[in-house]
Amino acid sequence: MKRISFLLSLVSACVPLACAAPAPVATAPAGRDAFVMHFDGDWKVAGGLPEKVLLVSLQGLANRAAPQLYVVHPQDFQWEITGPLFNFYERKHGVRFTPIPTADAALARFRGAAKGYVVWEKAVSASMNVALTIAGLEDAVAVTAELIPLVEKHGLKKIDDLRGRYTGQTDAQIYQDAYNRYWARCTKDAIMLLGGHAGAVRQPAVADWGVQQKMFFEDLSANPKHPDELALAQRLFSELKPGSIVFGWHSYAKDTEEMYTTLLSGYGLKMEGLHNLPNLSFNCQFGFTPGFKFANNHRVARDAQPVAAEKVYVSFVQSDSIGIGVWTKPGRGKLPFAWQVTMNWTKFSPAALEYFHESATANDYFIGGLSGPGYMYPNHIPADRFPGLMREANELMAVLDERVMEIMDNSAADGNVGNADLTQATVDRYYAAFPNVIGFINGYGPARTRDLRGTQAMISYEYYIDPRRPREEVAADLAELIALNLKRPYFLLVHVRESNDVNSLVEVVQRLDGPIEVVPVDLFLKLAASKQTYTTRYQDPNEPKHFKGY
Amino acid sequence: MKRFFLLSLGWLTGVALMANPAFVGRWRLDPAQSSALDGWTTLDLVVDVRGPLVELRHDMAWRTTKVTGTNTVDTTQPVAIPNFFRIDQRHMAVYAQPAKSAATTASWIDGHRTLRIEALVPLEVSQGDATQRIYSEYRLLEGDQALLLIELHAARPRPLVYRFTKVTAEEAKK
Repeated sequence: MKRISFLLSLVSACVPLACAAPAPVATAPAGRDAFVMHFDGDWKVAGGLPEKVLLVSLQGLANRAAPQLYVVHPQDFQWEITGPLFNFYERKHGVRFTPIPTADAALARFRGAAKGYVVWEKAVSASMNVALTIAGLEDAVAVTAELIPLVEKHGLKKIDDLRGRYTGQTDAQIYQDAYNRYWARCTKDAIMLLGGHAGAVRQPAVADWGVQQKMFFEDLSANPKHPDELALAQRLFSELKPGSIVFGWHSYAKDTEEMYTTLLSGYGLKMEGLHNLPNLSFNCQFGFTPGFKFANNHRVARDAQPVAAEKVYVSFVQSDSIGIGVWTKPGRGKLPFAWQVTMNWTKFSPAALEYFHESATANDYFIGGLSGPGYMYPNHIPADRFPGLMREANELMAVLDERVMEIMDNSAADGNVGNADLTQATVDRYYAAFPNVIGFINGYGPARTRDLRGTQAMISYEYYIDPRRPREEVAADLAELIALNLKRPYFLLVHVRESNDVNSLVEVVQRLDGPIEVVPVDLFLKLAASKQTYTTRYQDPNEPKHFKGY
Repeated sequence: MKRFFLLSLGWLTGVALMANPAFVGRWRLDPAQSSALDGWTTLDLVVDVRGPLVELRHDMAWRTTKVTGTNTVDTTQPVAIPNFFRIDQRHMAVYAQPAKSAATTASWIDGHRTLRIEALVPLEVSQGDATQRIYSEYRLLEGDQALLLIELHAARPRPLVYRFTKVTAEEAKK
């Protein structure tokens, strides 16, 4: 296990972005004061959005010098951890939070962090992203017209006004103009893909981070049906530094997750979702608490060689990033469960990772992913970029005491169904890049890439649990898989989609017949390596691909 | 006497082959009264009968993806159906084997109000090749405006039950 000083030095060395510039990532002094706002769930463009955009842009500026403003979201917000993490900061970092009840009060407290304001236009949705780009570059808050009196009341002056500038223009034209005006001054270590919800509701909760780090904000389409937008997105990606990170998320109105992740992977870039991931400008300024070290619940030693019995082995894995997952749902700890950790959070949200590890039960096991040091589709990573990216992944896994690598490539899939397989060349690269992992798991929906080389098994998901599927049907699906795979041992790897809960999985397991054992995924992979009853298989070039790529 | 026997046999065979005409047409899945689909959002079943042949076309949709799969069975003799279409649970690692055929038998039973089909469907699973025996009954319900498909998988402990309602020509255009 690495010492904490090594952890911090490694983390600092890995960080391309200077969090809380000019100071590097470090543990904030214990016992500090900060402020907290409690957001409601109103993100309607015609309702609460403009004020929230004002506040998150202010948050990004206020947190530049020090972690001063944190936002707690309602429990039904996609990122469920803002409340627990708030408590963690109080308890473990001694942060004394003072509530700020209103935007007026926030401006009164933090107006000194802003030099002025920039106006965006609700009728031109891309203007919000351009305004946020300007906000980062010019130390401005982003407002709509009705909020001008409020910010001027606090002495802020107009820096720019986008009203009318982009009327009638396409998003490609708007972002091309923004590129011409601002791109040269923006960081080239990262870019903010501020898409996600589109139309009447938007959730740009990650904007504080982009403002703080002076990122270029956009929601350009990766859909080949929008060639002008795609061309500009490709130009931006080509001008980022190697290994840069795309924060945010694709626009739900323009393209698909599969398209965007395929596109950025082709440039060797890393995706770090989502568009509503909050508080990074605050979180990045807290390191791990003194004495903390990651200690995973390994069930088998790295060199152990357990032998599988004549039975069915089931293992459950939850990906989708822990923070939006099953973690806070009922029943965690009742079954062995693997959790895919967003490894980049060692850089951007160390406290969140520490919170998860601290609250882990003996049945919770952390694994690396997704595909590398960020969310990427490995079939599309350029061969010359692959080794460097995976070196970074190995380093992060060492910090996090993780020994299993989860891979996902949905570039050819149709949402969570369809072709999620890896080419043989990709599999070869993983085996070369990760000689020390216990094994690999692959897929999101089910997949059929499988391999065994030495003691390292690569197993794909046999089943994906849709949280809406009735539990009796889930049990029947699993029973059917078990009956169709006649040989024993049978290795049944199950992906648990976010928002399932563990209690319901306990019920599912109880419905299954026969000699079945639910095991943690590290033991599962070791057992799978002991007796290969599965075929070796890679992506077949002749199998259908929902999206053909670029 | 011999001629009468042959005529009788022909009549009986004709009766046996004869489908209830109410089967023919487009049927739309009623999700609220059906087993949950997995990886599909909608399902229309289009039935056509040509003598002993019954064509079962499945118009499936998943988000914006549309898939059509047709099985044509013969109610007088076994047939091998290449790339047999099944309403699959798409979150299971159970895959079709398009290059192989499913041995299939079919018959009209219950006074021609039920079409019975039994198929041995070649599949691919993680351990290699597998065969799934699928027994299906398409039952025309009272009033001829609803069709019930009961599907038994040899490997599945629960039946899959799909209830369809007849779609008029006007509704089908929507």
